[in-house]
Amino acid sequence: MQKRILFVDDEVNVLQGLRRMLNAMRHEWDMVFVESGQEALALLAQAPCDVIVSDMRMPGMDGTQLLTQVMKRFPLTVRIILSGYADSSIILKAVGPVHQYLAKPCDAATLQVTVARACALRSLLADPALQGLIAGMQTLPSLPTLYLEVLEAVQDPHGSLERVGDIMSRDISMTAKMLQLVNSAFFGLRRHVASPGEAVKLLGLDTIKALVLSVQIFSHFDHQQKGAFALDVLWQHSLATGTCAKRIAQEEQQDRHVVDHAFMAGLLHDIGKLVLAANLPDRYSAALVQAQAQGTAVWEAERALLGTTHAEVGAYLLGLWGLPDAIVEALAFHHCPSACPEQRFSPLTAVHIANALVHTEDSTEAGGMPATLDSAYVAQLGLSERLSTWRPQPCRAA
Amino acid sequence: MEQVLAAIPSILIGIDMATKITWWNMTAAQTFGLASSQVVGRPLQECGIPWDTQAILHGLATCRSTRVRVSVDDVRFHPPGKKEGFLGISLTLMQSACGADVGILLLGANITGRKLMRSQLAQAQKLESIGLLAAGIGHEINTPIQYIGDNILFLQEAFHDLSTLLEHYAALYQMCRNGLPTTSVLSQIDTTTAAIDVAYLTAEIPTAIQQSLEGVERVATIVRAMKEFSHPSTKEKVSVDLNKAIESTITVARNEWKYVAQMVTDLAPDLPLVPCVPGELNQVILNILVNAAHALGDVGGDGTPEKGTITVSTRQVGEGVEIRIADTGPGIPEAIRDKIFDPFFTTKEVGKGTGQGLAIAHTVVVEQHGGQLTFETAEGEGTTFIIRLPLTLSRS
Repeated sequence: MQKRILFVDDEVNVLQGLRRMLNAMRHEWDMVFVESGQEALALLAQAPCDVIVSDMRMPGMDGTQLLTQVMKRFPLTVRIILSGYADSSIILKAVGPVHQYLAKPCDAATLQVTVARACALRSLLADPALQGLIAGMQTLPSLPTLYLEVLEAVQDPHGSLERVGDIMSRDISMTAKMLQLVNSAFFGLRRHVASPGEAVKLLGLDTIKALVLSVQIFSHFDHQQKGAFALDVLWQHSLATGTCAKRIAQEEQQDRHVVDHAFMAGLLHDIGKLVLAANLPDRYSAALVQAQAQGTAVWEAERALLGTTHAEVGAYLLGLWGLPDAIVEALAFHHCPSACPEQRFSPLTAVHIANALVHTEDSTEAGGMPATLDSAYVAQLGLSERLSTWRPQPCRAA
Repeated sequence: MEQVLAAIPSILIGIDMATKITWWNMTAAQTFGLASSQVVGRPLQECGIPWDTQAILHGLATCRSTRVRVSVDDVRFHPPGKKEGFLGISLTLMQSACGADVGILLLGANITGRKLMRSQLAQAQKLESIGLLAAGIGHEINTPIQYIGDNILFLQEAFHDLSTLLEHYAALYQMCRNGLPTTSVLSQIDTTTAAIDVAYLTAEIPTAIQQSLEGVERVATIVRAMKEFSHPSTKEKVSVDLNKAIESTITVARNEWKYVAQMVTDLAPDLPLVPCVPGELNQVILNILVNAAHALGDVGGDGTPEKGTITVSTRQVGEGVEIRIADTGPGIPEAIRDKIFDPFFTTKEVGKGTGQGLAIAHTVVVEQHGGQLTFETAEGEGTTFIIRLPLTLSRS
């Protein structure tokens, strides 16, 4: 089926240029071009769109206002800003409602890939209700202690970027949000970062402070809602998996990008659990209870009760936020790496193995069987021999 | 009395009517590095005081002839082994009890710090508006660059498609020439024509070229206007075409007003050239334009598509010219009308402006150009700023 893409810009020449430039996509995309936010909303009310690409500054309704409306009324639509504007006070307001930010002038390939990736996400997650839920999430809950620490650190007059970066690198949600900001052109960066700490350094303390205090990009987990979900265990497991995945990639002499992505994907691999526990606490709790009772893996119980898994949910969220493909792929396939179309050593490989090793080490995770290793996959990549070298050393967070 | 005078932290020099030094206090000694014993009793101009002697002598002459207090500002001085600085000196005629002139008192202060601060403040204000403009101009240029790039990419693909078709036509031509059957080539032409959508391409290519040229022209206009606006070197008054200066300033500031205002210009075609410092005057016009846009931004608010209007007009009025910059904003509230030219007065939130824009505009128009800067305002209707500049160069 054709995907429907809506472009909004107050400059007619920009719209016509986009239409011509994307002419080659006309068979896959049904492209609609309008000149104002009001027209865009009227059009969405008639027929939904898969992706909206909007300019930022427009007379009347600006991009942030438009995409905030779209988020509330048409949550299924993926929201992208394409703007040549660089005023940080305006950009800060967009951080909440905007999934991805592209800077003008934007080359054709980047725009095409970004929109195509947004369209492809649909196939990851079939349930529209869940899609809408995830697309509407502006923040993800953090561990309350880390949340308080970060609040304190950004308000400390003698606070340092190192300290803030260190706190954020220990938190799943903060790491994900930081990566969203530096991977998109929100602050004109759009580059590979090795760690959340590096992302923090790129953004600078003033921006971080504004993001944390005024825009409130972080929140803390509400203990009342978590049910059977053991938050601190998830954090420990995630950190251990990230550290272990990084070590595996290093020992396999992978290049720096793979090592960095392996660490971040390891840290983030269970972020879908966080999304489900925060948004569907009762149903998710029931899935955990069922996994425990029946002795199945958590993801199998999720599939049975929710029709999806935390792997798909996490990959969908990080895909929406424009994180690198390697990380999204590692999340999506971390239980079943053989299903991934690409079969070579990747962050997925490191995360899959690390996840299984860490689960063996420490099987206290609430509910269900620990993750099992896909031996066929490991054998196919010729890594079976190597397993023993990774196993003896306990992979724990430092 | 000696002690009182010695304690004064200003430079205090007394001379008699023959310019011989009679007083020389501690501060004078410290400032110039000359002890009182080295100078008292000798003529002022022969003591080797490290200052601009010509400026002082000129001031003394004026003081004697006009018999009123004379201020000599910005007197350069350069004490040995120290940095050059500036003094502000006032000259007062001293008279004896019976009314006879006995000498002149020179009271001076080192104003280097104050002068430095003032220039830094002016610089800061300029940087602030340049920073604002740079972001805006970046956006103004990025927009055409975006569609020029898109169009060129389209033209590249279109050319590729059309040259495929052209190859088929060339083959057809060969077949016809050689009297060979053409059926297969004809069907190839049909297929390709449909696949590449020739009708779409022939309709779009001319517009793509046209709009790209428009974009190039827009970038060129912005770059030209930037050059004219910044007018780098001139610190002197030169004859300026104010209409052109206004148009450039409106262009560079376009990003500041285009979302909130329609710009209307009503520039007198026969406006004479006006003697002024172009860079400074452009800055004044910019400050007032940006203020007008902000006033309209306040009234339009978010979500309402209603734009306001900014009208800029020029006229010759008697022996001068008048620039009027009118907005349809909310007007200036009665309570703050007498404060708007005060330095540091601002209604903008902290960090959004130094509060120097209008104060500096006032200084530039009134002190530097001998003109007038006034405004008319009515709440709910708008504000008009009026700059009047004389056509003849006056000493200022």
